[in-house]
Amino acid sequence: MPSRPDTPPPAALFGRPRQDRFLRFLTHFADRYLALTTRTDPTGRHPATSRPPLRLTVTDRRAVAEDVVALRLAAADGTPLPPWRPGAHLDLRLPSGRTRQYSLCGDPAERHAYRIAVRRLPGGGGGSVEVHDTLTPGARVTVAGPRNAFPFAAQDRVLLLAGGIGVTPILPMAHEAARRGLDWRLVHCGRTRASLPLADELAALDARHPGRVHVRADDEHGPPDAARLLADAPPGAAVYCCGPGPLLDAVRAAFEASPAGALHAERFTAPPVVDGRPFSLRLRRSGTVLSVPADRTALDVLRAEDPATASSCRQGFCGVCRVRVLAGPVEHRDRRLTPAERAAGDMLVCVSRAPEGACLELDL
Amino acid sequence: MRQPADEPDGLVLQPRDVAFDWAGLPMHWIPGEPMATHVVNVLHLLLPEGERWFVRTFQEALPLITDDELREQVLGFIGQEALHADAHEGVLDHLHARGLDPGPYLRHVEFVFRRVLGERPGLPPHRARAYLTERVALIAGIEHVTAFLGDWVLNARGLDRAGADPTMLDLLRWHGAEEVEHRSVAYDLLRHLDPGYVRRTRAMFIAGPVLVRLWISGTRFLMAADPELPARSRPTWRGYTAAARRGLLPDPRRAARSAGRYFRPGYHPTHEGSTRQAVAYLGTSPAARAAAH
Ligand code: FES
Ligand SMILES: [Fe+2]
Ligand SMILES: [Fe+2]
Repeated sequence: MPSRPDTPPPAALFGRPRQDRFLRFLTHFADRYLALTTRTDPTGRHPATSRPPLRLTVTDRRAVAEDVVALRLAAADGTPLPPWRPGAHLDLRLPSGRTRQYSLCGDPAERHAYRIAVRRLPGGGGGSVEVHDTLTPGARVTVAGPRNAFPFAAQDRVLLLAGGIGVTPILPMAHEAARRGLDWRLVHCGRTRASLPLADELAALDARHPGRVHVRADDEHGPPDAARLLADAPPGAAVYCCGPGPLLDAVRAAFEASPAGALHAERFTAPPVVDGRPFSLRLRRSGTVLSVPADRTALDVLRAEDPATASSCRQGFCGVCRVRVLAGPVEHRDRRLTPAERAAGDMLVCVSRAPEGACLELDL
Repeated sequence: MRQPADEPDGLVLQPRDVAFDWAGLPMHWIPGEPMATHVVNVLHLLLPEGERWFVRTFQEALPLITDDELREQVLGFIGQEALHADAHEGVLDHLHARGLDPGPYLRHVEFVFRRVLGERPGLPPHRARAYLTERVALIAGIEHVTAFLGDWVLNARGLDRAGADPTMLDLLRWHGAEEVEHRSVAYDLLRHLDPGYVRRTRAMFIAGPVLVRLWISGTRFLMAADPELPARSRPTWRGYTAAARRGLLPDPRRAARSAGRYFRPGYHPTHEGSTRQAVAYLGTSPAARAAAH
């Protein structure tokens, strides 16, 4: 309960029972201070800054494995691009309007171009197919970033584990580890050798640093065994793992029993919507009705309407996206709200939904 | 001085869904050091209210942000602070169950963050915006302090040597690491709303001493309310400096120097603390690792 502006200070902690003097002083001070300092509004006096997204051109494209292309992206006028560190990614805004994140797999010292590698996934959301089909040399693409959701802390001993296309963020880490003279090892796993992207670059790395790069293909060595992979980690090593979900899960499960000391994996925000049905939202203040498709969250739709919509984890645990529902049946999917909060009409719009065709009236 | 150029940057901030089990936590979780324990325990009293106030304030600021990247940073920050508040509240519940009722002091903290710095309905729009900026400036100042403390606790080998409770150390270091990780956000938001020198330093001038005063009264309160200490136990300055020499508490001279750096015109939070160290700790933290599942 927010206390009312005229609430008196609570009692002092020590001594005679009376209002706490320090808090009384603070109250008077704040009231006077704010009366003075809020006379003029500072915002708007200075032009608001915002960095425009980068418009880049595909300057090179080459196949680096079955179904995998590597693209070089550069500014049309050749200006240097914002710097990045291993583990960083770009948000590519594709011509269809889709946004996809791809790890940077080039050399951070190369300031005039970025490199990404993309595997064509015909069954996916269509982003990788679009990249393969439309991003040919000369094509324009808008990108945001680089941002880093998989930072490399360059510990003294590191084990880099890559599964398939997951080698993209790992490769720059290996280069940095080599540059810093760390004790590092890289293991690249995949179905077959031909399916492993950037194999020539790993081979070159291996030639320069014998014994540090290991390639294992399932058709030669059998499926990877996470416990065995981790057993080779130097004691206390930091493990950086990027690859398909099952590999990551297996590494997590085997981690505690391994000699390794730290585990780092890329952090993704929003998991895809599972088993969603379309429904709609009605905003009380404006009366606007918004429809939420089966594959998007209520939060996505609200953010598209108002970018200042609050949210954070987008996984239903932080509570920041809480909205009051005035009417309509909510299908709660969060792991935070108490039964009392749900009964009062609270909803976490990043994950929770409504039955097919239902309309939720929100206090917005 | 560490080199920011060699650090990961542009970090995507996200809250981590951590959980801690306090069932086995002793009252004096730095064994034999009740005063140092309670100086640190003041965090559990101040932070749940304080960080929720950060969250409310920053939510209010969202509509004023015109930079997409800054908005994403602020959203990540809000979630991290919300989870910090929850985690510290868990310790409070445990203290209460062990016979230390934090209620009287909590009412002071609530008064500060809800009455003194709370909503002020009825302000005309320009004053409401200026009040918001003023609070963001206070938060930027406090975040300089939390980043200093985060950096300190990540490096406080004295706590390991003294055999401090490992779960509590993980809470403090996970929180400290996230404070270091997000140390620029409040400052960057303030610069976005008001790039001036005056508001930022004026706010620190106020936030610093008030925080010190709240800390002292919090420690006094906890030592007096601790059922396992003799009646009329009090913290002393001598006790503080002795504990600081053993590495159990931050060195007051280093704290003062750090606060002084905030007043430099060229100040930026990235010059304080190490993102690399924070990232490295989050890879080893049992709570942060479990949260990644
Ligand atoms: S954004 Fe965290 S609960 Fe919805
Ligand atoms: Fe925090
Ligand atoms: Fe913080």
